[in-house]
Amino acid sequence: MTALLRYQADLLLRSQRWLPPVILYVAFLGIGVQSGQPVLDSLGYTAVGVLPVAAWLVRICVTGEPDAARACVAAARGPARAHLACLLTALLAAVALGVLATLVVTLISDPASNGHQVHVPRLRAGAAGLPATLTCALLGAAVGALTNRPLLHATGRAVPAMLLGALLAAVLTGSPAQAAVNGLVTGSQTGRAPLPLLPLAGAVLLTAAAFAVAARLTDRRTL
Amino acid sequence: MQRDLRLTAVGRRYGIRGPWVLRGVDLTLTPATLTRVEGANGTGKSTLLRLLARLDAPTEGRVTGRPRTAYVPERFPSALPFTALGYLTHLGTLHGLSRRSAQRAAGTWLERFGAGAYAGTPMAQLSKGSSQKVAVAQALLGEPELLVLDEAWTGLDAAARAELERAVAERTAAGGAVVFVDHDPRRLVGAPDATYTVLGGGLKCCTDQGSSPDGPLTLVLVRGPAGGQLPPDAARTVATVRETTPGDYRLAVPASHSDVVLRALLTAHPPWHVVSVTPPPPDSGSRP
Repeated sequence: MTALLRYQADLLLRSQRWLPPVILYVAFLGIGVQSGQPVLDSLGYTAVGVLPVAAWLVRICVTGEPDAARACVAAARGPARAHLACLLTALLAAVALGVLATLVVTLISDPASNGHQVHVPRLRAGAAGLPATLTCALLGAAVGALTNRPLLHATGRAVPAMLLGALLAAVLTGSPAQAAVNGLVTGSQTGRAPLPLLPLAGAVLLTAAAFAVAARLTDRRTL
Repeated sequence: MQRDLRLTAVGRRYGIRGPWVLRGVDLTLTPATLTRVEGANGTGKSTLLRLLARLDAPTEGRVTGRPRTAYVPERFPSALPFTALGYLTHLGTLHGLSRRSAQRAAGTWLERFGAGAYAGTPMAQLSKGSSQKVAVAQALLGEPELLVLDEAWTGLDAAARAELERAVAERTAAGGAVVFVDHDPRRLVGAPDATYTVLGGGLKCCTDQGSSPDGPLTLVLVRGPAGGQLPPDAARTVATVRETTPGDYRLAVPASHSDVVLRALLTAHPPWHVVSVTPPPPDSGSRP
């Protein structure tokens, strides 16, 4: 698996297709997050932005390899494992990006609640923001896994389905990502930073299931 | 660990209501055998090879056995952001080699196919033939237990085509199973242990052609024990044997397998003496 991950990561880095989602994410943060704003609010914003980026990175990893090259890798390691490596590479890239953004935002934001009434320690805020970011990255990767090959092949279907899925995962009540982000936003009003561990656990389970489904179906459907 | 690959009553179709491409296929690939698959265009040869490489799961039936597999597609894309050597090193590690030995094996195989000069060239700048050499090298450098070649010879130059035939002979001699599709009927002629034809979605086993080779033959004169038996590895691939005088043998060997036979003779205990090797006349060696 290490060799597969290394290959996929190298492919992703060298292809430079990661640039558009990363630039978009940075722009999104540049618009929504400014230094001196309440930390928990900004962390919620940072977390929710990772979700579509993760889905996009999955699409990049899953579609980046020409079919014949994919077949060569799949013959060597098995199609399911090869596909899983694609998904994990995208997830790890999204997590790395999200963690970096969370760190920066925690450091530049105002350690206080809305209206600067209650002091929120940076460490506590970061500890609340990190699981929320992970939750969003996981859920975004799950959306990407379920809306690209092997489940949806045609670009015309995959991209709208992915965008819709990412939107729903971010706003639908009951979605772990929505719960985690909502916790941060309400926490910013009260000044109490919640630890969204339950949403994180939910996201881990959902993503594991989504990855398993996608990997299992890899050798069932082609074209 | 079962190293045979066995298809039992296998069928495959694309889509839930698509027509059956293959149905009721039974096939076993055992180690150290060479298998040829024939058939007209669009009959499902590639589908069969994808099933054998376990790239696709069968719609019905069972595939058992999981040998370490390498696959060579017919057309290999060069749209990969690596150099030839970088890509092959990655693929070598995927086949279980360490990074260092993968790099060494990659260099060796590129050299063997006459593409050593392109090791540092980005894949995107390789010609079609050179990228096919990379595709072939990625499959061979892992010394797979099962090698699946889907028209791997297409696009290679004459020297590389002959080299690939020799590499296939080496692989089977080393105990690997090789299955191939090629449109040239003279490809590895006389060498396959079994030939199958894909016909009407089913698989028909033809007689093995080992008894009547009409491909280019290399003549080898060797000296060994009088009335002695050839080493088993050599006896398997030799087309005809004639003992001219006691202890002197005249062997006719399919040209692609001459190296394998010579290696078997020279490494036998006690080793045989090779008197002379006569390659096939040049016209029979040049193939379309």
